[in-house]
Amino acid sequence: MTTVPDALAGPAVLEPANSSTLPPYTGRLLRWSFAIGVLPPLGLIVALAARSLWLLTFVHVITGGTWTGFDLFMGIVMSRVLSSLEVPSRVEIAKRLTPTTFFILPSLAAVAVASGIYLAQSEGKFVLSSPWILAAGVVVLVLTAQGFGIFMPNSVRIFIELAKRQPDTGKIARLNMRNVRLAGVQAIMQLALIVVMAHLAVF
Amino acid sequence: MSLNRPALLAILVFATALLAILGALYAGAVRSYRKGELDVEGVRILRWALLGHAAIYALLAVTAFLS
Repeated sequence: MTTVPDALAGPAVLEPANSSTLPPYTGRLLRWSFAIGVLPPLGLIVALAARSLWLLTFVHVITGGTWTGFDLFMGIVMSRVLSSLEVPSRVEIAKRLTPTTFFILPSLAAVAVASGIYLAQSEGKFVLSSPWILAAGVVVLVLTAQGFGIFMPNSVRIFIELAKRQPDTGKIARLNMRNVRLAGVQAIMQLALIVVMAHLAVF
Repeated sequence: MSLNRPALLAILVFATALLAILGALYAGAVRSYRKGELDVEGVRILRWALLGHAAIYALLAVTAFLS
């Protein structure tokens, strides 16, 4: 699990002022996630402002690759690790994993898609009648629907449950497992997307 | 400075969808807080999460003016 360097932890804005059910590290991990999450859009802004095709390609590849790699790791490795743990241990992981990924993953996904569209436009490949562009669009729509419709609401529900005076630990573990398994499904969709990307890049 | 209208529209649609879902969950959390089921820190952290996502989408919207 990612640890937060003291220098990046910042002032305790989100630290509980009085007795709180939320662990003290939740705010720190959320701030860390935000600090990393703003980097991809900033990188895209720099690439576009500099009118650098090389930098735009770099931003697209690094965000898309990291997003896919994370989903593969979650689906193939973490799902097995979590399945082998007892519920209290799963809850402890969910308490740390959810705030850490809260901003990073949506930001990576949004920037990978946006930079991909800008890249296709700059290379004259963004033709909506192209079956390859259409295929990419369909996969992106499915990934987005899963992200907005399942991933994000589950993460927020975990936060809400954690902040309750009597958190339902079984519910937290269940929601987290659902997200981890969904990451595996997303990884499969992204592999399909990479097949399309490889075709677009070569032909 | 040129404006990429399709990109800006797409970003606005995605941002609206995401923030609407987060907003609905936030409203549910506020109701739970009023019933005394939820800690105030939970509401504060969700508000921060909502603003954080809005900030990321605002940065993305800037890119529509640069492409």
